[in-house]
Amino acid sequence: MPVLSAPTCRWMSESLKRLSRIRFVFFILLFSGGLDLAAQTEISKEYQVKAVFLFNFAQFVEWPTNSFSDAQVPLTIGVLGDDPFGDFLDATVRGEKVGGHPLVVQRFRRVEDVKDCRILFISRSESRQMKRILADLKQQKMLTVSDVESFSESGGVIGFVTVQNKIRFKINLDAGKNANLAFSSKLLRLAEIVGSGKN
Amino acid sequence: MPLRNIPIRRKLMTVSLLTSGAVLLLTCAAFIAYEVITLHKSMVQGYTTRAQIIAANSTAALAFQNEADATDVLAALKTDPHMMAACVYDGTGEIFAKFPANASAGVFPAKPGQSGYRQGHLEIFSPIVQNGRALGTVYIQSDLSALTDRYYAYAWLALGIIVCSIFVAYLISRALQKQISQPIIALAETAKAISKHRDFSVRATKIGDDELGLLTDAFNEMLAEIYKLNLTLELRVHQRTAQLEAANKELEAFSYSVSHDLRAPLRHIDGFVDMLRKDSEQNLSETGRRYLGIISEASKSMGRLIDDLLVFSRMGRSEMRRTTVKMDELVADTIQDMAHEIQGRAIEWNIGKLPEVNGDRAMLKQVWVNLISNAVKYSRNRSPAIIKISCRKNESGELEFSVQDNGAGFDMKYAGKLFGVFQRLHQTEEFEGTGIGLANVLRIIQRHGGRAWAEGKVDAGATIYFTMPASDAN
Repeated sequence: MPVLSAPTCRWMSESLKRLSRIRFVFFILLFSGGLDLAAQTEISKEYQVKAVFLFNFAQFVEWPTNSFSDAQVPLTIGVLGDDPFGDFLDATVRGEKVGGHPLVVQRFRRVEDVKDCRILFISRSESRQMKRILADLKQQKMLTVSDVESFSESGGVIGFVTVQNKIRFKINLDAGKNANLAFSSKLLRLAEIVGSGKN
Repeated sequence: MPLRNIPIRRKLMTVSLLTSGAVLLLTCAAFIAYEVITLHKSMVQGYTTRAQIIAANSTAALAFQNEADATDVLAALKTDPHMMAACVYDGTGEIFAKFPANASAGVFPAKPGQSGYRQGHLEIFSPIVQNGRALGTVYIQSDLSALTDRYYAYAWLALGIIVCSIFVAYLISRALQKQISQPIIALAETAKAISKHRDFSVRATKIGDDELGLLTDAFNEMLAEIYKLNLTLELRVHQRTAQLEAANKELEAFSYSVSHDLRAPLRHIDGFVDMLRKDSEQNLSETGRRYLGIISEASKSMGRLIDDLLVFSRMGRSEMRRTTVKMDELVADTIQDMAHEIQGRAIEWNIGKLPEVNGDRAMLKQVWVNLISNAVKYSRNRSPAIIKISCRKNESGELEFSVQDNGAGFDMKYAGKLFGVFQRLHQTEEFEGTGIGLANVLRIIQRHGGRAWAEGKVDAGATIYFTMPASDAN
């Protein structure tokens, strides 16, 4: 399992402070310091970063303007399958707004239940039926994210990858275009690009 | 040398050069001061903008913890040669990315702080904000060589401008100062030439129609006036002198001929009185003899008068024969000649040292005869009579002779009349004389270039003075 670098941990705890989850952060840090719980805490750290990344994607991606009926409509981050984030994702987005839209987290067991999501994280538990899920979701204009291997190559929009112990991501421009998403150039500069975006 | 003493040409140049120099210096100083302030401000502004661009470009890198990308963004700063160091702090204030990438952490402040100039460089901090959330801080540090380079450039520029402008000002003022200085110099030269050569026919050249032209015109007009006045004055002096000379000559000729012509009838009167006395003295009564005596005496007296008049008129006309005359000898001779007259008188002679003079011996003898006989005559009632003859060199360097007696004296209010012809202050019955003696003295002394005057007091004696020009003295 990847080990997070020291600055990453520091940065993360700071961003958590800024999110006013001080007690929660202390709790996390207490556990992450424990040696006997190493495997458990490593996963937690990785998903903490991924949870923040999910939140950050909301800021560097633009959805078509007509996709929101009005400003009060929440921007939903969905999690499909087993939730690896625990409470952390909820804590990360609580009280936050992007473009005036409040952020909410919804969890789905089945792909048929997914509805009105802007960002959908597809858990590793769904890796076997990924092809079907992506085909089912094709009609829904959403930003699909997953850490399943070759996710973006398979038609997902953003796939997390771990490079030299750091979490990076790949972006499938064709899939993004199908979903009518506009990526910030700053985001694209950080990502490995899959597809041409010209189909 | 004080400004007021230097020539007007250089004064004008100095004034214009100093003025333009001062103006330029102040202008340059103001310009540079303004530029320095603006430069400082614009430098802060420029680097703040740069830091803000970096901050805007670093948001994603910070959000997604990509140091490599942040380092890339910072690397763009390498195009600025003045950029010493730069870094991105993350949200906790830790250094996240650096420029140059291999810079040691000691180069950067431990925590984000305030922008400003410190220790020879400029530091700018700019927050990295995404959607109102502070993600971190950009820090850039620039050296001030951009500023100092500009200062040097300004200094050289100012120096160049001042030197060039002063040179141009010098050329211009050299050309233009002539407009003012030339007429003045021309006037001054003319005035100098006139006062040196006394030539009032010279005119100053007029150059322009300004105040100096006016001055030149006025100057020339005055010159013309002086020239005209001078000419007429000389002419008038000539005319008057000629008239006077003519009148004088006429008068002299007239008095000479009158005196001369008067002698002939007088000689007849005298001769026939003598013959009458010889032929018929015994036939005349006592009264007739007395009348005859009076006639004879009167005719003799008239003869003396005519003689003196002749001498007087001759004094004005006769040629002077100048020789060196020893005054002491002349005085001694004169007194010798008068031995007969002064016989039986108690006279105390007090004669000082008398110098030699250059003059007509016969004329000067006449002077002494008149003066000494006067002194003897008017001191007749004194016993002893004191007659003092002396000479001194006066303030003007002339030889001043004086003959002093303790005789009858005179009232000073008649002092001017003493030297007139026929002017007498005493009755003939009291002191005999023709009233021509002192007139003669004055005439002779004047012909020698001297002056004569008298001082006295009634019954306290008189002093007659006369001078001889010093150049004639040894």
